[in-house]
Amino acid sequence: MLKGTRIEKHFGGLKAITNLDFEIHQGEIVGMIGPNGSGKTTLFNLISGLLKLDTGKIEFEGSTISGLAPYRIAALGVGRTFQIVRPLMELTLLENVTIAVLYGRSNVKTVDMAREIAMSILTFIGLAPRFDNLPGQLGLEGRKRLEIARALGSKPKVLLLDEVFAGMNPKEIGGAIDLTFRIRDEYGVTVFMVEHVMKAIMRTCDRVIALRNGMKIADGVPEMVANNPEVIRAYLGDNYAKN
Amino acid sequence: MGQDSGWSKRTLLLVIVFISCVTIFPWLGPPVYFISFAFNVFIYITLATSWNIIGGYTGYLSFGHVAFFGIGAYAAAIFGMWFGLSPALNILASIPAGLVSMLLAILVGYPCLRLRGPYFAVITLCFAFVTELTIRNLDFLGGADGLWLKGLALPIEVSRSIFFELMLVLTLVTLFVANRIEKSKFGSGLRAIKEDEEVAQTMAINTPKLKITAFAISAFFPGVAGGLYACYLTYIHPDIVFDVNVSILIVLMALFGGGAFWFGPLVGATILTFVNEGLSTFVKAEYARIIYGCLFIIVIIFMPNGILEFAKTRMVKKPAKFEAAVK
Ligand SMILES: Nc1ncnc2c1ncn2[C@@H]1O[C@H](COP(=O)(O)OP(=O)(O)O)[C@@H](O)[C@H]1O
Ligand SMILES: [Mg+2]
Repeated sequence: MLKGTRIEKHFGGLKAITNLDFEIHQGEIVGMIGPNGSGKTTLFNLISGLLKLDTGKIEFEGSTISGLAPYRIAALGVGRTFQIVRPLMELTLLENVTIAVLYGRSNVKTVDMAREIAMSILTFIGLAPRFDNLPGQLGLEGRKRLEIARALGSKPKVLLLDEVFAGMNPKEIGGAIDLTFRIRDEYGVTVFMVEHVMKAIMRTCDRVIALRNGMKIADGVPEMVANNPEVIRAYLGDNYAKN
Repeated sequence: MGQDSGWSKRTLLLVIVFISCVTIFPWLGPPVYFISFAFNVFIYITLATSWNIIGGYTGYLSFGHVAFFGIGAYAAAIFGMWFGLSPALNILASIPAGLVSMLLAILVGYPCLRLRGPYFAVITLCFAFVTELTIRNLDFLGGADGLWLKGLALPIEVSRSIFFELMLVLTLVTLFVANRIEKSKFGSGLRAIKEDEEVAQTMAINTPKLKITAFAISAFFPGVAGGLYACYLTYIHPDIVFDVNVSILIVLMALFGGGAFWFGPLVGATILTFVNEGLSTFVKAEYARIIYGCLFIIVIIFMPNGILEFAKTRMVKKPAKFEAAVK
């Protein structure tokens, strides 16, 4: 469904992504792990078109999307959230999501219809009682939920989630894991998520991709990737891997 | 994208009564000065409201918007000359003159709308200067001597009253369009762009198209207003129709009233036209400019959302803030 071939990206002298191949199949929940600075967010920026590739290509449902403007990629059904949340601060939660619905793939005709769909998404995400709040009135966890709600508003086929669990307490993580499954099952959205919380990765993902310094070092079922010596070394340093 | 999609019957009635009163005003025989003054108020409302579509709704502060007014004025004058239009037909030519402004906005907007923030402000300011200098140096456009148009062969009160009505219509149309945009899908897309253009793109909003459309619309009405103004004054000169102070005044009016809503520029333009008139009557022009400069700073620092929003938060919002703190 979503496929990258020999992707490279550098910022000046820094190689953020090196010769990376990946593929996400429809209906999967795929995780991406890797130490800070390993290029995970950069990969999402490349997929969503906010950054341009140096070489390689990215395909979505068989057609090349790398090189398209971000709004065209989004219109095709590639949604995303931002690691550092970016709500539209002057607009209420309902307005944030309604605009996404209006311009998304739902094919709504009126603002009222869009508002109704937006409201159902807010209910799904658990923010309905606060629909009239401004994002500034929410805590971090609430803003992350809003970020997901807005992405769902566009009715994406695949959703790129960038560290939505980061900074949450264990109870909130439990809720978020549950939410990830429901996003796939109730909205039929394929999920590609960056995550540091291993518990969340192990429990939700069908497959995990591990990055280190912009290179893919593992790709497989969660247990296998978690026990991969390269991955352990990437996270814990050389000494641990030898034992 | 406000929650209210229509006005209550009472508000609508009030508005209709008010507009009717304004409409008959010039025919009640007031001094011509008042008619001309109201004409000026209408022009500024039209300009500020149009500006607001790109500046207030979309967040692209155009500091050269007077150029579209001036281009409209010159286009109408040229149409009149080339086609030998009668004064009445020349008035009608204001509409194609608006289209000329719009076309130019599309041409200029295409490269300029890639720039954000201060860069956009500066480039639009430059655009206005370049346009003015070009016209000033083209002899077939009258150059530094300006251009004359044929006036309506009517007594001054009658002719002024007619222009009063025409400008009133244009003002109402502009306000109506601004209101419709605000509540539409298009308007909500513009708001997303204003808030965060990258996020807007990830929401599948075709930001280049929306921005250029907003810019084109915001140039059309000033163009028509410029055409009407040329016919009204029967004489145009670059100093008059490309006055950079007007560009700045428009921005100030819209921001003073509040840029997020259609009635902000209406309120801002009305108040500041009165202030402007008072200043130019009682104070020297240089002092007036200083006062404007200070006003600008006060508005930006203390009332970034305009005087209406400022007054509203002072009066109503206190409980809401309290509620938020408790949550
Ligand atoms: N826009 C950018 N300009 C320059 N360097 C960047 C940019 N974005 C990311 N980087 C660099 O690329 C590397 C990968 O960053 P990132 O993709 O954010 O990592 P991750 O999300 O895995 O923590 C980092 O070294 C980061 O500093
Ligand atoms: Mg990151």
